[in-house]
Amino acid sequence: MPAAPSAADVLRGTLDLLVLKTLTLAPMHGWGISQRIQQFSRGVLDVNQGSLYPALQRLEQKGWIESEWQTTENNRRAKYYSLTRAGRRAVGDEAASWRRYVEAVELILQVS
Amino acid sequence: MTSITGLRARLRALMRRRAAERELDEELRFHIEMETEKNVRAGMRPSDARWRALRDFGGVEPTKEEHRDVRGRWLEELVGDTRYALRTLRRAPVLATAAILTLALGIGANATIFSAVNAEILRPLPLANPSRLVMLWEENPEKNWHQQVCAPANAFDWKEQVKAFQDVALYFEGGGQTTMTGEGLPQILKTAGVTGNFFDLVGVRAQLGRVLTPDETWSVSGVARTAVISDHFWRERFAADPRIVGRSIRLDGQPTEIVGVAPRGFSFPVEGADIWQPMAWKPEFRDQVFFRRAHFVRAIARLAPGATPEAADAQLQTVVSRLKQQYPATNKYMGAGLTPLHRFLIGDTQLPLFVLLAAVALLLLIACANVGNLLLVRAAGREREVALRLTLGAGRGRLAKQALTESLVLSVLGGVAGVGLGVAGTRVLESILPPGMLRTSHFTVDWTVLGYVLAIVLGSGLLFGIAPALWAGRRSPAESLKEGGRGGDTRRMRRWTELLVVGEVALAVVLTLGAGLLMRSFRELVRVDPGFDPRGVLETRIVLASQKYDSAARVRLFFDELLRRTAALPGVVGAAATRVAPLAGTTYTSDFVIAGRPAGEYYTEIMHRPVTPDYFRVMHVPIRRGRAFTAADRADAPSVVIINEQVAAKYFKGQDPVGQRLTFDKVPNDSSQWSTIVGVAGGERQQALSAEPLTEVYIPFAQEPSQGMSILARTSGDPESIGPALRRIVSELDPDIPISDMRTMEAIRVKSLARERFLMTMLVIFAAVGLLLAVIGVYGVLAQVARRRTREMGIRIALGSPIGRVRWLVVRHGLGLVTLGVGIGLAVALIATRGLGALLYHVAPADPVTFVAIPLLLALTGVVAAWIPALQASRADPAIALRSE
Repeated sequence: MPAAPSAADVLRGTLDLLVLKTLTLAPMHGWGISQRIQQFSRGVLDVNQGSLYPALQRLEQKGWIESEWQTTENNRRAKYYSLTRAGRRAVGDEAASWRRYVEAVELILQVS
Repeated sequence: MTSITGLRARLRALMRRRAAERELDEELRFHIEMETEKNVRAGMRPSDARWRALRDFGGVEPTKEEHRDVRGRWLEELVGDTRYALRTLRRAPVLATAAILTLALGIGANATIFSAVNAEILRPLPLANPSRLVMLWEENPEKNWHQQVCAPANAFDWKEQVKAFQDVALYFEGGGQTTMTGEGLPQILKTAGVTGNFFDLVGVRAQLGRVLTPDETWSVSGVARTAVISDHFWRERFAADPRIVGRSIRLDGQPTEIVGVAPRGFSFPVEGADIWQPMAWKPEFRDQVFFRRAHFVRAIARLAPGATPEAADAQLQTVVSRLKQQYPATNKYMGAGLTPLHRFLIGDTQLPLFVLLAAVALLLLIACANVGNLLLVRAAGREREVALRLTLGAGRGRLAKQALTESLVLSVLGGVAGVGLGVAGTRVLESILPPGMLRTSHFTVDWTVLGYVLAIVLGSGLLFGIAPALWAGRRSPAESLKEGGRGGDTRRMRRWTELLVVGEVALAVVLTLGAGLLMRSFRELVRVDPGFDPRGVLETRIVLASQKYDSAARVRLFFDELLRRTAALPGVVGAAATRVAPLAGTTYTSDFVIAGRPAGEYYTEIMHRPVTPDYFRVMHVPIRRGRAFTAADRADAPSVVIINEQVAAKYFKGQDPVGQRLTFDKVPNDSSQWSTIVGVAGGERQQALSAEPLTEVYIPFAQEPSQGMSILARTSGDPESIGPALRRIVSELDPDIPISDMRTMEAIRVKSLARERFLMTMLVIFAAVGLLLAVIGVYGVLAQVARRRTREMGIRIALGSPIGRVRWLVVRHGLGLVTLGVGIGLAVALIATRGLGALLYHVAPADPVTFVAIPLLLALTGVVAAWIPALQASRADPAIALRSE
């Protein structure tokens, strides 16, 4: 459920890319990732929490990210995710294929 | 599972399911708390903030569920399914017990037979680097010899001249007997006579003392002075005395030093050997002609490093052709060759083992069909439950998996029980296996056997689980949920069960036909006339090994006196002696020439049997022409022989052999000894009941005395009752002479059938069990059919249809299934029983009698199996039957 009426749900296939991209900056916990995605998209994209955690699990199984329990600035335990080497490579590939997709959709939209 | 890390994450998740759950909880709680704090910062009241955070999250539990899905849950599902399966099985204890017992029977039989296959064929020989060992053999097309024992002189030439052989060792096939005296009662030891290099060649060290040394092959005195004893002999006879080495024992009257103890379990080349003794041949034998003419040793070689068997064989052939030219008198027709040792030793034991293995495999398949049917029938009973679960959203794949898990749980339980049965089975097999049938006589359920069992457990679980699984995954819930609904699904399931029944009937036909053929063959064998009358005759073997009997006169004197005293015993009708009792083995063969035939014409392979004069009367061997031997055929009397019918038919066609003369030389010369044929005797079977009599010549014992003789006493009553008296006579004559077993000739006749009887009995048992299972299967399915048609029958009977015709409906159904199964089984059996050909005596693999009788028997059994449910269904009161659904 969107937090604000204007926000759009993240398309399922693109969530992985967004998570990976977010993690290129720094290791982050699940909540932090969802906040960042919201911030970077200037509030347009809202991550459905129900799909965020399964996505993290999926990415970990793919070997693109790894997790570790750490302490936050506020001295609380949280599970931090960071990119693996394979994950770093994957960001590039995923981003490229996303751009191709967007261009293709754009081309089609321009037809009419 | 795209990468190692991923795999690790999955595994970790599986292993630590609980930890993973806890982590997930904590992670999500952290998320909610952070969200709540954020909401508080945005100005909400704490309680509202938390509620909002939870709402935004969109449900914690579904998230967890999805998370779990991604984590991978097949193991969880497996555990769950297994629990579910165990629970449902517990709820149906009769079905579960029946299924597990059926499977345990099939798997246990397989484990037992496979343990024998494993010990005999799969496990490497207990020798160093056994794959480099080859058996060397000689052959002679003129005498129809294949892979025969070797002449020592030839084998020594190969050893010296074939570079691809690292070494060649010789041994006496089947071992010999040695008499141990001076340690209490005289005892006969099972002895392996080997060349001194034998232990080095097979790479076996002594556990105590030393093994034999190469120089011990030869001995100027011609007498072995040393012996290596086996572990079991050391333990049983000498209480594992650690100071046994160096001790002297008397063997065949000779003081012999025990030089070492062989390792535990080592009993090559003689199964159960007590001692190994060196050949101790006199060195001059090497150049004597008998050493090249007489074939009496087995030769094994170790291939030189890097040499292939092919290269070795090529070199061997070169040496063989050189020997042919060098020694034409003895080697003109002698060929030689080599076979990997293990394959050679397995030899003819392979076929019976594979037949048994095939039989138990068929048995297991039948068991699987039965269990599959049981499960299907039960699945039908649970139709509503399954339909309900489908409607509630259970995946079809999931249901199929669950059904399959249930089958696997059953097969694993059956497998565990089967291994137990298998362990017991190997003990039984060891005790009922005829001695000498296999090379090994000790079977264990080791890792190889367990691996095999695991494979068949999983295989059979999948096999009988497939039908119920497909069934579970394919139903339409709407049909099943309809009250009393019996749509196409039920029909489809009936197809399955009928298919299984047809299949198991076909398998049972194949199995029963195989057993039937062996039974027919065995009956033929039992009816074979061995050429003598075995009833009422006691046999025992006496060997005069000691130096006391070093002259022919002394040997004659001993046996004459022994027979005289034995014949005088009360209850004894007559006593005689022969070199080897009939059906107990062969003596030796030679070439021969008949006087008056064209020069250069000679014949081969006539067997020699020295007998005392009363032999023919005692054994009831008929004299067809001429006369039997008499006391007048003494050593100094003219040399005489009696030929058997086979010699007369083969070499004296249309002539009267009596009065003709022959000599046992290929090329007679002035020193040849000619013997006159004084009679023709009926042929006796020498080797086994299944082997036609060989051409044989009887020789008066007085004219060819031998130190080892079989004593035969015909009695008027129970032959075994004279045993103690016979023993007393022998020990009165010489207390140092041991008496080996005393056996009746009837026992020898029975023993010569032991292998055939064993194989037949095993197959008949397997076939009986298979048949029983198949009948149960037919009955089970028809009972279902009948129950389903009870209503219809009620209507028919109510409308006045004769009860007989109503019953016929069910019986006809069963008969149709059985007939189809029998037909398929017959077609398969026609091909499959060809493999039995070599095991059958006077019965063709496609024996018409068997191929008509067995299917009829099966069809009849099928009718009976169908009749019972038909009877039950038709007896039902129409009024009740009509309300039955």
